[in-house]
Amino acid sequence: MSNSLRRYGIWVVIALVGAVCWGMLALARGETVNAGWMLFAALASYAIAFRFYARFIRDRVLEVDDSRATPGERLNNGRDFEPMDRRVLFGHHFAAIAGAGPLVGPVLAAQMGYLPGTIWIIVGVILAGAVQDMTTLFFSMRRNGKSLGQMAREEIGPVGGAAALIAVLSIMVILLAVLALVVVNALAASPWGSFSLAMTIPIAVLMGIYLRFLRPGRVLEVSLIGVSLLILAIIGGGWISESSPYAAAWTFTPNQLTLALIVYGFVASVLPVWVLLAPRDYLSTFMKIGTIALLAVGIAITLPPMHMPRFTEFAFNGQGPVFAGSLFPFVFIIIACGALSGFHSLVASGTTPKLIQKESQVRPIGYGAMLTESFVAVMAMIAAVTLDPGVYFAMNANPALLGDTVQSASQAVNGFGFSVTPDTLQSTADAVGEDSIVGRTGGAPTLAVGISAIFAGVTGVFGTALQAFWYHFAIMFEALFILTTVDAGTRVGRFMIQDLVGNVWRPFARTSWLPGNIIASALIVAGWGYFLWAGVNDPLGGINQLFPLFGIANQLLAAVALTVGTTILIKMGKLRYAWVTALPLAWDAAVTLTASWQKIFSTDPAIGFFAQRAAAQQSIQAGELNDTMAALGAASVEDARQILVNTTVDGVLSILFAVMIIIVIADASRVWFGIIRGSKEPEMTEAPWQESHLDSEGNVIEREPVGAR
Amino acid sequence: MKEISGENAYDRYLEVHAATHPGKPAMNRDEFYRWRQDEKYANPGSRCP
Repeated sequence: MSNSLRRYGIWVVIALVGAVCWGMLALARGETVNAGWMLFAALASYAIAFRFYARFIRDRVLEVDDSRATPGERLNNGRDFEPMDRRVLFGHHFAAIAGAGPLVGPVLAAQMGYLPGTIWIIVGVILAGAVQDMTTLFFSMRRNGKSLGQMAREEIGPVGGAAALIAVLSIMVILLAVLALVVVNALAASPWGSFSLAMTIPIAVLMGIYLRFLRPGRVLEVSLIGVSLLILAIIGGGWISESSPYAAAWTFTPNQLTLALIVYGFVASVLPVWVLLAPRDYLSTFMKIGTIALLAVGIAITLPPMHMPRFTEFAFNGQGPVFAGSLFPFVFIIIACGALSGFHSLVASGTTPKLIQKESQVRPIGYGAMLTESFVAVMAMIAAVTLDPGVYFAMNANPALLGDTVQSASQAVNGFGFSVTPDTLQSTADAVGEDSIVGRTGGAPTLAVGISAIFAGVTGVFGTALQAFWYHFAIMFEALFILTTVDAGTRVGRFMIQDLVGNVWRPFARTSWLPGNIIASALIVAGWGYFLWAGVNDPLGGINQLFPLFGIANQLLAAVALTVGTTILIKMGKLRYAWVTALPLAWDAAVTLTASWQKIFSTDPAIGFFAQRAAAQQSIQAGELNDTMAALGAASVEDARQILVNTTVDGVLSILFAVMIIIVIADASRVWFGIIRGSKEPEMTEAPWQESHLDSEGNVIEREPVGAR
Repeated sequence: MKEISGENAYDRYLEVHAATHPGKPAMNRDEFYRWRQDEKYANPGSRCP
């Protein structure tokens, strides 16, 4: 009795702390609720989930076997296969899954209040996101690190496999466009931001040369040099923005930035990796881990109050100015990374499983790293909801509704049911060293204002001058790893295209063949470049149109991963535990298909692509804007033409995504019922069992006799 | 720190190389790191947005 009390007593305390924190979040009276409650509600929930649910999955559902050698041990070749220390591998895996996504989604979802997004981030990660990452990692590990696409083909069938491949490629294109759009929105008309980010290119090249020719392998040294230069670049940006001839030269329009990003993406994809991609990768990994740690400390020290209400009316009426659509399904679409992200299944299959030391480590690495990313999303939510809601809406609402001046923005915000004075908007912009913060959509600027306020709260003893530095530090931090994703994503897309065409015409598949390289790079850049350009020039604000599409695509990939997981569980004879992946799959499919349905069939032109398209068409035929178009924010018939094209493309893509999900799930359920009825043999594709010779710290426990090899 | 940054990778490579290809010459340090970087990014994999 006393033994079990000692064992579980601490968990009872943690559960109580968690319950009190959740209670404060949901029910506390008074003006504002402190962000500390959110921080500790999240941490207590993660601790309990990791201790109990993840352990249940490890022991009962997956039945991991530490006497079984992992691919890293069996196939150790010192490069892609290698048993890596679990703490180091955790860092690598976390750096690979955490990007700008968990920072942007929660900021946009904050328009519905702080509670709906937070509940989804925490409950979603525990029951869906971390489960997906952990099971995918485990199944791929048992198959020598096969990719998600390969597993879909082998476990479900060629149809499901092909659908998964198309899903991956189209998601990549939308993803790159959305991320690039976030960068454009953050840098437009900001000489400080543009200068600092442009400087990362020579810094990366310098680091690349250092690592390639001067001192290969010295990653720590070169990262320290890089980060120091980066800080100088941010300080330099401040000088640039204050001296008028240079400030003018570094002020770019959105279209100029779009062109620059497209050229950059193409060049980065064609060049060898050591010039840009590899050094940028080191730089952004350092910045990412450092900034996230700083942010956690900053929030814990300042414990800011949350000014956004628990729920806003936009949660229920679907008329949100940041993105349209009601709480269900759109909160679950907008917040993908941090709660459930299909993209992780690409990292969890392929790279990480080849480096695992012991099977049981899928729990800290698969489940644990995803909990950490969820925590990043919670901090992003805190940074957004601790802002004045008036400032939040003035930054994030559809720019067409806000107008160009602080006065018009203040009026528009009053129309949304919040209030902010023109003076507040101007002084906020002054504090962060920008001309204006009105209509700076995309999430990154909002997060940067929130982060800078939190950091400035810590460094406040040195005066408020530091807030502008912190703002641009945060912008740089986000833009930096978005550019890293643009580099890496374009290259991945290029390889996929080379691989696809290579099936028809052999030479094209050779990634070192320059013409193939250039053509495939151009194709993939043209793909995301088109969506980026359309998003930048969207009369109704691109991010609110494209972000839901990106969310749907990402959740579609999660559906593929969870379907593969469910199929494998059933094949393993684990039907009674199949709900572990099947329930999140059912939820994910319900959310994604409802969102697709509304995007395709809704008669509300703010939500449905085709309803919007019809309104645009009417306006073009009539030669003048009808009321619907005008209410959405279109200014001219020319705008309506643009909207017509955009809604057609976006609508067709929505249909494509929905059809893909249905095909994958239908094809898999054919396999499931075949096995359950007994009409189909469950064929397993696991690598055969071999005994492990490593202990849990990675030391060799039994030496093979000399000469055995 | 060396483990985290991968700076001891060369030593481990030498161990594996000695065990698997006894007698064959190993790459020198600079060659190894250049080759490793190319290998690592030969398929850069995906990142979460």
